Amino acid sequence: MKKPDGKVVLLGDMNVGKTSLLHRYMERRFQDTVSTVGGAFYLKQWGPYNISIWDTAGREQFHGLGSMYCRGAAAVILTYDVNSLQSLVELEDRFLALTDSASADCIFAIVGNKVDLSDDCASPPDEHRPEKAAAGCSSKVRKQVRVEDAIALYKKILKYKMLDEKDVPAAEKMCFETSAKTGYKVDYLFETVFDMVVPIIVRQKAEGPPQTVDITDYKPAKRTKSGCCA
Amino acid sequence: MLMGDKNHINIECIECCGKNLYIGTNDCFIYHFMLDEKVSTSGKVTFAATKQLHKYLGFKKPVNELKAASALTRLLVLCDNTITLVNMMNLEPVPTGARIKGAVTFTLNENPVSGDPFCVEVCIISVKRRTIQMFMVFEDRVQIVKEVVTPEQPCAVAVDGYYLCLALTTQYIILNYNTGISQDLFPYCSEEKRPIVKRIGRQEFLLAGPGGLGMFATVDGISQRAPVHWSENVIGAALCFPYVVALDEEFITVHSMLDQQQKQTLPFKEGHILQDFEGKVIVATNKGVYILVPLPLEKQIQDLLASHRVEEALVLAKGARRNIPKEKFQVMYKRILQQAGFIQFAQLQFLEAKELFRSGQLDVRELISLYPFLLPTSSSFIRSHPPLHEYADLNQLTQGDQEKMIKCKRFLMSYLNEVRSTEVANGYKEDIDTALLKLYAEANHESLLDLLVSENFCLLTDSAAWLEKHKKYFALGLLYHYNGQDAAALQLWVQIVDGDIEDSTRSDLYEYVVDFLTFCSDRDLVWKYSEWVLQKNEEVGVQIFTKRPSEEQEKNINPDDIISCLNKYPKARIKYLEHLVLERKIEKEKYHTHLAALYLEAILQLKSGTTDNCVETVELLLKLRSLLQKSDLYRIHFILDKIRGTDLHMESAILYGKLEEHEKALHILVHELKDFGAAEEYCVWNSENRDLQYRRRLFHMLLSVYLRADTSDCALVMAAVDLLNNHAAEFDAALVLQLVPDSWSVQLLSPFLSGAVRQSIHTKRMTQVALGLAQAENLIYKYEKVKHKGTPILLSDKKVCQVCQNPFCEPAFVRYPNGGMVHTHCAASRHLNSSVTPHSSRSSSET
Ligand SMILES: Nc1nc2c(ncn2[C@@H]2O[C@H](COP(=O)(O)OP(=O)(O)OP(=O)(O)O)[C@@H](O)[C@H]2O)c(=O)[nH]1
Ligand SMILES: [Mg+2]
Repeated sequence: MKKPDGKVVLLGDMNVGKTSLLHRYMERRFQDTVSTVGGAFYLKQWGPYNISIWDTAGREQFHGLGSMYCRGAAAVILTYDVNSLQSLVELEDRFLALTDSASADCIFAIVGNKVDLSDDCASPPDEHRPEKAAAGCSSKVRKQVRVEDAIALYKKILKYKMLDEKDVPAAEKMCFETSAKTGYKVDYLFETVFDMVVPIIVRQKAEGPPQTVDITDYKPAKRTKSGCCA
Repeated sequence: MLMGDKNHINIECIECCGKNLYIGTNDCFIYHFMLDEKVSTSGKVTFAATKQLHKYLGFKKPVNELKAASALTRLLVLCDNTITLVNMMNLEPVPTGARIKGAVTFTLNENPVSGDPFCVEVCIISVKRRTIQMFMVFEDRVQIVKEVVTPEQPCAVAVDGYYLCLALTTQYIILNYNTGISQDLFPYCSEEKRPIVKRIGRQEFLLAGPGGLGMFATVDGISQRAPVHWSENVIGAALCFPYVVALDEEFITVHSMLDQQQKQTLPFKEGHILQDFEGKVIVATNKGVYILVPLPLEKQIQDLLASHRVEEALVLAKGARRNIPKEKFQVMYKRILQQAGFIQFAQLQFLEAKELFRSGQLDVRELISLYPFLLPTSSSFIRSHPPLHEYADLNQLTQGDQEKMIKCKRFLMSYLNEVRSTEVANGYKEDIDTALLKLYAEANHESLLDLLVSENFCLLTDSAAWLEKHKKYFALGLLYHYNGQDAAALQLWVQIVDGDIEDSTRSDLYEYVVDFLTFCSDRDLVWKYSEWVLQKNEEVGVQIFTKRPSEEQEKNINPDDIISCLNKYPKARIKYLEHLVLERKIEKEKYHTHLAALYLEAILQLKSGTTDNCVETVELLLKLRSLLQKSDLYRIHFILDKIRGTDLHMESAILYGKLEEHEKALHILVHELKDFGAAEEYCVWNSENRDLQYRRRLFHMLLSVYLRADTSDCALVMAAVDLLNNHAAEFDAALVLQLVPDSWSVQLLSPFLSGAVRQSIHTKRMTQVALGLAQAENLIYKYEKVKHKGTPILLSDKKVCQVCQNPFCEPAFVRYPNGGMVHTHCAASRHLNSSVTPHSSRSSSET
């Protein structure tokens, strides 16, 4: 197995479309998914580097695994569903803390998926009530989350991480709206993230692996098998 | 076998080490069996167990755990919270009574840190709360190394080097017992579900996770593999690379660590122990012990391939790389790639197939042999055994579907074309090229010809038969030619041109044959087909002689033979002589004369004919004239004789001109032809490259011809006046004036006269200027001479030569006008080297 050079992790509530996004990007298709169990990962060759992309499970049951998946991550893609305000709220409440184990210079992207389901007309600032949605545009529902909300979250994340806005990519650049179904902006999302991950990989390689566990005085002993017969 | 019908006795733990199988029971007995492995002819492995010993430990407690330390021949036995060391063979406790007390459970460090081969490292969960202890266990003593306090009560542990992987009450952690640094993995409620912690390789562990997951974690606290998905109530897990085997209440499941897929499910009830021992997986119920034997890797891969699970087979094969010796692996892997290639091929997934064939370095003939009749009959190829695929041939594979068949053939064409020049083809280029030729011929593919005209290894007999069968006669000719059988090739092509056999490959085949003969170095062949070629078309056919590469011509065919051969073909003959005389510029009288005679003959014949072939005649006339004018080699009198009595006045004029009989020639031009323009031209080209005098003589002669006419022909007088007025420069005015009749007015000749006067004055003035300049130059030289004489030059032995810096030892020296003095020899060599100082060469003087 090729050892990946860097890690990108997708986090977000169940059903927001993490698996579908990844599937769309890697397999160029949209098909029915089942709710992810545990996690899955893909390897993506990006220039000279192998980037592993982890698809995590949004289900509460697997929440505890997130921290381990995020350990050492170079990028975290926080995913919500543009038609569910709750899914954005969950990002802050439940998923942000998982990223504590990520690499110190980890970059964050916030992605609102499923834009194909909602119309594009800008909703009046304080109207998030879905029952009114059908009025405007045919079968489509009205978007519940606006990009500005995502940008606000991004800024909160920076505060949480105690990062200076000047030192990180701009919020406008890191908040995406996508559709795994139509493929809208999916390549753009991943490619933008990968391009930003490369310098981090280069730096990580130069500094050696970021160890939270100190192994400086660990010298691997010669492998003498303890229980060797024949 | 152990307990007969004693129902209350249960298996509590097992250990297997080499052929030794140990079993601990709930009634405090240890049993020792020897396992005998038998492999039946069908490859099925069976085990027979023979009981050796049993031993009662003397408590009323179950035997909790057994671990063998074969290097010490010790068995570690956990019973009643105490680990005792017993002899592996006789199960007697060591005489020293060494033991570890207060252990809830223990494990051995399979990646020990001490490096002492006669010591095993044991890690226990202590009965003391939240305590882990590390021991070194020797043959007959134990030594505590470290005690670590954990944040919560541990309930399961695995070790790798200094790293402990611990299941605590609410989570899993990694703890480095040397540094004390710990790393959280993920939460897990050990009270709800029994945790599993299993070392699966260097620095990697397998853990039971939430929702029935088997989670992988490294000592760095990261996951490098996606989890496997077990059932919720998994009891135990074991490793059998590259698989993870898990046990629950009803099934044994097998997942691949390579792609996380579930590969197999075996129903198995009442199992409560699942462990792996050096590659053997053992599962036990309360009453029985079962050994799970993995099929040999190759068999697994073959099974996957047989069910067309190519991707999985390749993943498995690749995953097995580090478990198989390199050489063996490469052979096996190549074969798998090839097989996979054929599976893809059969599904018409040609791109994938090609890639697999390429990376599997497939002997291309395996593929060719699928196609009936493609391999040459002489090919020594036999398909590899066991076969790489299940197909007899393409017909079977496509089940007669013509469309598929065509696709397959197209694929083979492109594939062979790609590989034929690579090293894959080495050793069987004949087979490949012959197959390719057959495919091309059958498909009427244009590349057939390219193949045959470039370097190829097509086998002659096989290919010839095939081409004939497919009526590719032209190509067949190429094949013959490539094999040095030009005669056969030509015979075929001639037959095609003559319509005896049919092949429309080339509509210009006749020209092709002509071209072929032109460059053919076999002169017998050229002679043999020259008749045929000329009969078809003299003018084109003659190219076989005229366009031959010149080095060929010289050594091979005598022009005289060609000329006599061409006697029957006048046009061809003329062309050939033109080629000799005009192109190759052969300076032989006979060719030049012959050509001139032929032109003449042809012209006279055309003229005598009734039909007026004006264009052709004029063309021939022009050629004849040009030859007569430009060549000096032909026999002038011979031609003149032939021309006499005909109306070819211009030509006779040219001939007379050649004889320097200009009077006669001009006479003809003026009086016979009355073509004054031609007469003037005559003067011009006959005096080309001659001096002015000669030219003046000719013009004067012409003037005389004009004027001497007895009849005062008005036209001639006009011509004379025009000649004078237009070519004033070509005449010597003084001579002209003597000739001109007195009756002519000055007016009439005024352009000539004024031109002549101007010319004369011009000449006079130019001469004066030249004289003046010459005098001036002379004066300058005089001045210089005086100047040089003026200053004496002193030479002493203190002066050195400016070139070699040596003193002068002879009186002779060279002085440059700029005053520099050098040895005569230095000056000479300096001149030779041509690095001369400015204007030195001309004015250097010697004293
Ligand atoms: N219309 C629409 N549906 C989508 C889109 N992306 C995902 N879905 C659907 O949303 C559902 C959930 O998608 P998943 O990709 O499985 O969601 P997930 O985030 O991986 O969920 P978990 O694995 O449970 O965390 C599926 O039915 C998808 O078909 C999208 O862009 N547009
Ligand atoms: Mg998913």
